[in-house]
Order: sequence, then structure tokens, then C-alpha cells
Amino acid sequence: MSAALEARGLSKSYGRLEALRDLSLRVEEGEVFGFLGPNGAGKTTTIRLFLGLLHPSAGGAEVLGRAVRPGSADWRLDVGYLPGELALWPGFSGAVTLDFLASLSGRPAVDRAALLERLGLASDDLRRPVREYSDGMKQKLGIVQALQCRPRLALLDEPTKGLDPLVQQAFYAVLAEARRHGTTIFLSSHVLAEVERVCDRVAMLRSGRLLSVGGVEELRAAQRRRVSVRFLSPVAASELAPFGEVVTSGPDHAQLLVAHERLPALVAKLGMLPLADLVVEPPRLEEVFLEHYR
Amino acid sequence: MTALVLLGHHWRRHRLALPLLGCGLAGFQFLITRIAPTSEQVGFIRNIFAVVPAPVQELLQQQIGSALSGRGFLAFGWVHPVTLLLLGIWTVRVTSGALAREIGHGTMDLLASRPISRASQVGAALAALLLGLTILVAAGWTGSAIGLVTRSLDARAGDYLASAAMAWLLFAAFGALALAVSAAVRESGVAIAATAGLITVSFALDYLARAWQPIHALRILSLFRYDEPQRILAAGPSGIDLAVLGGVLAVAMSLAFIIFERRDL
Repeated sequence: MSAALEARGLSKSYGRLEALRDLSLRVEEGEVFGFLGPNGAGKTTTIRLFLGLLHPSAGGAEVLGRAVRPGSADWRLDVGYLPGELALWPGFSGAVTLDFLASLSGRPAVDRAALLERLGLASDDLRRPVREYSDGMKQKLGIVQALQCRPRLALLDEPTKGLDPLVQQAFYAVLAEARRHGTTIFLSSHVLAEVERVCDRVAMLRSGRLLSVGGVEELRAAQRRRVSVRFLSPVAASELAPFGEVVTSGPDHAQLLVAHERLPALVAKLGMLPLADLVVEPPRLEEVFLEHYR
Repeated sequence: MTALVLLGHHWRRHRLALPLLGCGLAGFQFLITRIAPTSEQVGFIRNIFAVVPAPVQELLQQQIGSALSGRGFLAFGWVHPVTLLLLGIWTVRVTSGALAREIGHGTMDLLASRPISRASQVGAALAALLLGLTILVAAGWTGSAIGLVTRSLDARAGDYLASAAMAWLLFAAFGALALAVSAAVRESGVAIAATAGLITVSFALDYLARAWQPIHALRILSLFRYDEPQRILAAGPSGIDLAVLGGVLAVAMSLAFIIFERRDL
């Protein structure tokens, strides 16, 4: 498989501030890739570097097999982009905005009608000037402009910001449809459930540094399980301590964080104790995230 | 193709301003032909001049002497503050709106993420500026030509083509400087202030250096020094003036391209 995005030692500094440090990353074509990190982690900087809006301080990047050079343009032909801080021309109507941006893309807007229908933007809405739109409507228009020309690569910076839960569901359907068309999606988000739901792989960033990259399942598997146990009679917490970290404990109950490979031994031990109930929770991405950022 | 789409984008944003400014300039140049003095009126004014003290006479001669004829008065119309203001509004509006405003407002992200080179963006802004200036100057000259058809003066519209062209070149040079500023800053307010300041300071310097001998040498620093319609009317455009304004235009244009190419958006 060829890479839709590739960064090699990509760095960006503003004076002494290192917004991004030595990022090396490869996103395969056809993937839905999640980019996670708290505010100021460098997510938007990374996307802007991939688009050539910023000049890197060091390293380089390739988009769809072509080197990113801020001054040139041809490599952006197959790229759709939704900015994190979406700004539109207030005096333009929705329809004029979409027509204008499609004509700049140089490709026909083959998916516009389907996207508008799915996201619930009516033709009456498109005739109104953008200054009259709510934040949610602007965000929908932003999603449509990014995907209307069926790009090979879509870079979406916080795409569900300002969308109500119903429209968020519609957006996930849009992503699934884009993926069926072969579009690679690079999505930055704070919403872990969203990333967990739609992404194949996830990268985590903190203070401009890449912490981890992997499949959602892979990251989950590497995460400790939360195990809750209840006993028929009191059991000392020290009996469970060798198997993992005891988070809470009482005379007849305990909660532990246990590494995946220690689970069989713990279950064997519990079999010898007066066990009343056992719950092993699969790790959520949120826990992976919190563990990294704590 | 995309450059044309961008040009259309500029047109959409200034589609009200350009006709208004064009009508204003045409109307003003027409008005100049209505109030320009006839030969009899010029003779009367010269008689009044003759009775004022010699130093005042010298000052008046320096300030308005060359405009004291129908022909000269019409040429003066091309450096009148109203003409300069209308051309200046277009220059400031287009250049600051093209790059700095898009960056400050955030819409540059949508433009620059499309397959458009940065050079195309600067080129489209420059084309919008120069095309608009051409339309405005042509409108002004047309106003003047219509006025001359309807009033008998010792002047022909064709005499003012060179003055109109130099006004175009002067504001093209200012516009290119303004575009370089717009390519460098993040907010349209900064670009507007810098460009308006540049034009105002240049105008004031030219005026003061003409009126006050001790700073006369500084006049060469003002671009207005290189656009003198009275001199153009008498002897045609000077090669040096053309070279200076053309040179400023070329250098400032190159700067705008280089700055925008190298900056972060």
C-alpha cells in the first residue's frame, strides 16, 4: 500500500517554542487515521504543515506521494481540508461558497448533492448569506466543501465541533461513505469516542511530540484492564496486589488495573478466594488517552 | 484557470466599490471641465495677480500659476486630492483585502489549501489592482472627454491621456508597495494603516518640499514628485519619472511575490 501522508522528522518552531518536534508518521491510503491530543499538542500545526500553509523548521513531508512544498500547488489537487477554526466569507451565500471553492479545486463537485442531503442543508439554506448561518450550519458547509470533490485525501481538523449529536451521526455516515470511495481520512479530534468509533489507527501527540501510534485495538490491548471483584467474606487487598495496581479496596471488594498478560494468573488466584462477582472491563481509548496525558 | 477564478473572487468582493469609484472619478473630471476657466476668465485673474505684492505673486505663480489656463486646470484635475483619494481608496481596498484580510479573517486557509500556488494568489491580486486602476482612470478620462465635448475650452481630451496614464502608474506603484505590505502582515487593519500612511506621507512630503525651500531636496523621496501633469502636458512624460515609477512597481511586485512565498500562513 502507498502512503497518503508521510512525515519524516517534521518539526516546527516559533522562536523558542517548539510546536512540533521530530514527527515521523505514515498514513496509508484508504485509512481513517485519528490524531489525538489536548489543546496545544501540535495537531493543527501538523495538518497545516501537511498542507504547506507553514514552512517546516526541519524535516519534510509527502502528501499522496508528492513532496510538500508551500509555494507550489499541484500536490494539493486531490486534497480536501476542513480547518479547525473555520472562517467563511460572510457576504457569500452557501451556494456561492461551494461553487467558488470547487472551482478552485479544479475538480467537479460530484458528491455535493449527497453530502448536503445527508447533513441536512437545504437549497433554501444555500441561498442565504453565510453571515446568517448558525455555527452548526457553517460547520456542515465546511464539511461539504472539504469532501464535495471526492478528494483522495481529506484532512479534517476537529470536524464535529459545533455539530449536534444527530448531525454527528450523519457525519459518521459521511465518513463511511467517503471511505467506501477510497478517500483517506486524517482526522484530528478531542472526542475519544469518535476516534474510537471511526478510526483504524490513532496517533497521540503531547507538547509537539508523538507519544504513540497504533491500531485502536492494539492501543487498547496494550492498556491495563479495569477489574472489579466482590467477595463473600473479607479478603486482604495485599493478596491481590501482586497482580496489578489496586485502585480501591474494602473488606469485601476491590478494583485493580491489571496488565493483559497478568489476567490469567489473577483469575486463577480469584478461583481460590470466596468470589461473589467479577467484572473485567475492556479498556476504553479514553483510558489509554488519560494514561498518556496524566 | 484558477487565476481567473481568483480574479472573479476579487471582482465579487469589490463589485459595488469599483463602479461607485469609477462614477465618482468620471463625475469629478467632468466637473473639472465645467469649472475650468475660459480665456477671458484667465485674463481677468492675471490682472488681479498683477496688483498683489511681488512675493505673493511669486508664491501664487509657484502654487497655481501653471493651472491658470483651461488646459492647465484640466491637467491639475489629475493630481487633485479628490482624484488621488478615489484612486487611493481602490488601491488600499484591493491590496489589503487580497492577502492580509484573508489571512486575518481565516479564509486564507480555504484558499491556500486548494491547488493554487502562492504566486497565483499574488498575481490575481495584482491583476485585480491594475485592472481596477485601468477602469478608474479610463472612467476619469471619459468624464473629462465628455466635458470637453460639451464645453468650449482650448484643450482636447487626447492631451490628457499621458496624464491619466501617469496617474495609473503612480497608483500602480503605490499598489505594488501596498501588496508587499499586505503579503507580510496578518491583519488588514495593519495593511490599510501602512498603505494609507505611505500615500499620505508621500503626498504631504511632496507638498511641503515644494512650498518650503529648506526641504526641497527631500521631494525626490515622494512618489508624487514623479507625476506632474502640468509638465507632462507641456513636454510629455519624462523618461526618469517613468523609470522611477516603473522601477518601484517592478521591485515592489517582486517583493510581494517573494514575501508571500516565504511566509507562514
